[in-house]
Amino acid sequence: MLIKRILLLLPILIAAALFQSYFWVPTFSDQTKGGSDERLRQFITGSIGDAQILNPILHADTASGAIVDQVFDGLIDRDRDLSYRGRMAASWKIYEEAFFVPHPEGPGAEALVERIERARAQGGAKWLENVEKIEAIAPSEQKTAIRTPPPKGGKKPGKKEILIAYPERVKITLKSVDQDLFKHLEKFLGEKWVAKDSASLIKTKLPEPLLPFAARRVKLTEHNPIIIFKLRRGVRFHDGHEFDSGDVRFTYEAIMNRKNLSPRVPDYEPVKHVETPDRFTVKITYKRLYSPAFGSWGMGMLPEHLLNAKKLAEEAKQKGKDPKTFSLRDSAFNRKPVGTGPFVFKEWRSDELIRLARFEDYWEGPPEYHEYVYRILPDPLTQEITFYAGTVDRYGAGAHQVERLKKDPRFQVFSGLGFGFTYVGYNMRRWPFQDARVRKALGMAVNTKQIHRYVLNGEAEDITGPFVKQSPHYNKKIKPLAYNPKGAVRLLHEAGFRKKDGILMKDGKPLAFNLMTNHGNEIRRAVGTVVQDAWKKIGVKISFTQVEWAVFIRKYVNQLNFDAVVLGWSMGLDPDLYQIWHSSQTNKGQLNFVGYKNPRADDLIIKIRQEYDLAKQVRYAHALHSIIAADQPYTFLYVGKWTALLDRKIAIARRLKSGKLQPEKIRPTITGSYSFDFNEWLKFPAVPRFEN
Amino acid sequence: MGAYIIRTTLFKLATLFIISIVSFLIIHLAPGEPSQIDPLNPRFTKEDLARYRAAFDLDKPLPVQYWRFYKKFFTGELTSLKDNQPVFGKIWRRFLISLPLFIVGTIITWCLSFPLGIAGALRRYSVFDRSTTFMSYLMISMPSFFLAYILIIAVVQGFTLPLTDYRVPGLEVSVLGIETFGRGDVSPLFRINDRVWHLVLPSLVGAIGGIAVLSRYVRGQMIEVVDSDFIRTAHSKGLDEDTVNYVHVLRNAALPFVTMFGLILPGLIGGSVIIENIFAWPGMGRLGFEAVLARDYPVILSLNFISAILVVIGTFISDVLLVVVDPRIRL
Repeated sequence: MLIKRILLLLPILIAAALFQSYFWVPTFSDQTKGGSDERLRQFITGSIGDAQILNPILHADTASGAIVDQVFDGLIDRDRDLSYRGRMAASWKIYEEAFFVPHPEGPGAEALVERIERARAQGGAKWLENVEKIEAIAPSEQKTAIRTPPPKGGKKPGKKEILIAYPERVKITLKSVDQDLFKHLEKFLGEKWVAKDSASLIKTKLPEPLLPFAARRVKLTEHNPIIIFKLRRGVRFHDGHEFDSGDVRFTYEAIMNRKNLSPRVPDYEPVKHVETPDRFTVKITYKRLYSPAFGSWGMGMLPEHLLNAKKLAEEAKQKGKDPKTFSLRDSAFNRKPVGTGPFVFKEWRSDELIRLARFEDYWEGPPEYHEYVYRILPDPLTQEITFYAGTVDRYGAGAHQVERLKKDPRFQVFSGLGFGFTYVGYNMRRWPFQDARVRKALGMAVNTKQIHRYVLNGEAEDITGPFVKQSPHYNKKIKPLAYNPKGAVRLLHEAGFRKKDGILMKDGKPLAFNLMTNHGNEIRRAVGTVVQDAWKKIGVKISFTQVEWAVFIRKYVNQLNFDAVVLGWSMGLDPDLYQIWHSSQTNKGQLNFVGYKNPRADDLIIKIRQEYDLAKQVRYAHALHSIIAADQPYTFLYVGKWTALLDRKIAIARRLKSGKLQPEKIRPTITGSYSFDFNEWLKFPAVPRFEN
Repeated sequence: MGAYIIRTTLFKLATLFIISIVSFLIIHLAPGEPSQIDPLNPRFTKEDLARYRAAFDLDKPLPVQYWRFYKKFFTGELTSLKDNQPVFGKIWRRFLISLPLFIVGTIITWCLSFPLGIAGALRRYSVFDRSTTFMSYLMISMPSFFLAYILIIAVVQGFTLPLTDYRVPGLEVSVLGIETFGRGDVSPLFRINDRVWHLVLPSLVGAIGGIAVLSRYVRGQMIEVVDSDFIRTAHSKGLDEDTVNYVHVLRNAALPFVTMFGLILPGLIGGSVIIENIFAWPGMGRLGFEAVLARDYPVILSLNFISAILVVIGTFISDVLLVVVDPRIRL
């Protein structure tokens, strides 16, 4: 019977066809041994997600960031000890130009200049020594536009041009930035040194309600910090074109070009203008004191010659698109980037891999690895298996695996603290959280050690304040709140709470509130449960709810409609805390949603973001840290630890004069980053033994 | 027939129109926004967020958004919010990757289900029948991700036989991705076989659930027909066993499966999220899944609408096929 035979034979044939393929496939040991030289010069890393857009000014995801960091170079980066280090900038200088409008009843700009000059000649005050040059500048006019409220019936806000006429002003050039300059000047020149009435300088006739908005545009005093970068000569893009100051200006302009929708705009908004006095000098002038802006120049630089308006228009035409709407975002560059970094882009197979090759002409000398491969392995278990099999060189271990993998002789282990923390935040607009004693007591009732041990498998540490724990800004002198439930009850007693039927009461009101967090985060759920349990034990009536993320943020956090939340912040190394802790940021939809307001903290927050001197900044940060720790607007719970495994055969390859390669142990930086020397890494045929 | 085709076409177009509206509304009603718009990014001002929304047309009223979206869809101008790549190009590339997985999976499913089902039906309640039934239910109940993990670990690292100390060695070969990673230039023969090998596990895992269900189905259909009067007549005519079973029974039992054939079509676009994720296949399922996570509306809606179109075409093909194979039915 033919049908019967077909039905029996077909599955056998198909199975045979499929399974015979096994004999053609190389085993893992074939792969690592056969042609081993190539494999040793290849670094393969795995990632859960694929990159989205390989453009330093447009990307916003970690996968793209990892690739962009290899393909592009910035002007500066952070050294081993977190200080700044020149990359494509050979050196830099930061100084300041300050302006003020003299008081109309005062002696006038010329006379003031003379007075300061005289004092400077006599010497004495430190701030005067910092003055490089002082001069009176001629009156000038400035045109600017303000936004006006939408006309009746309309929705879009209008625009109104205004003209500001500045009289003669005093310009002071300082050797280094001094945020207290105007305070010193006031002390020195007396009360009537600077004009107070900004509205009088506006020459355009404006309706009464608009005046205050326009007046804000008038700068009676102005700090203009300036950065001058001297660029390294002979740095080349991967296509051979030489990098110069034009590329820096172009990159800045590309970010500020609204069409490109760059997420970096907020970092560069304080820039007044970028000038290029010559091919290898860039002068950046800022509108105001804003020290975090310096770090933004670590961003990768784009090649102007490939992306300027003319090139984009050509590309648009070629693709049959309208050059007017065609932006950098649409350019094919984002899928085959060209930078000045240590690795050249080769290939991107979506959701599969990204392949980079070393750049032979790299200004610091080419990396030891010939190839950098970024494999997308979306599943954690398969990632682990590929790591064991040796076809991925690095693996980020989960907290539950650390214990076991630490002992594995095949791997070298690196670990460090994350840049972020998890906390319980209290809505300080609501009763009883206005009272710092209540917040402190609630914090004391929670055993954070228990959370570290049982929720995070011990892969966490205490944190006491809002700075990155490894950074100099973190105040190590502050001790974490000690776990003390009895002390907590005592403190609540002091705040007027009395126990009745096991519940703490004050003025007939029970200490009852709701703790919230988002759905889908198992760790936060577990943390919430531990906290809930701890509070119940001291007599708080507490409920714990979880809500879907978007709803949680929109309906509860942004609307300030919550009692207490379990949430986390991830941070950068920069100590600017303005958006999360300043009292001006407590409105709906802003990030100080707990409503923390402390004038002393406000003052320090402003000082920190205006200070260019690291030592002073650290001092302010330590003071701020202790204020926040004393106020306890959050109960700081923990900072997580990460652990990464590398094949033990990977080491730093030092080139000796004889041309031989000598292995050297990989040394992490103070933040725990082990890939600092990545360009010198190499995989050795056997586990290397290190001298000393 | 002509009138039927015109009628169904009109009806199906109306269905598609309704689907387009409903899916558009569901996506926009779902919480969350495209990942480019992150209201919790401390550096974004309100103006920045408004700028993003405007660029993605999200500030317009829904009917306008709907109109613009489908206009771009039909002119092929749709681009992904994630990387500004044309949506159809993205879908097509992923489609080509998922296609072999789909084809091999379907072939395995159909080629194994029929022999299993038929054998079970012909030897009703035998040991073979009972054990395939048991295995079927086991496989239906087992989540595919679990099966996939077990298979991967067993194949790659080996396993210890239960109740013994005997260790079955692992094969120590790559089973993830569409081909062995990092293989330089090899002859096409090696390359093709390497790719075939990488199809084996994922398509097997994908097929197993299907085999379990389909073979039960075949068995049921066969049994139903075996018991009918005309089969008894065939037997009494003196026809030999095989002719009765494979010509008379099977032909009649196979009728419902013809209609199922048309319904496979939408599976083409769905891909399998779980299997593609675990086996690191950069296919359609992953594309859709990542798009959902990033709220990449153009990709989600395009995939949704294309699969709606395929469902509609699939049902149409089923209807027509049934008429072709079963002379009793007329449209």
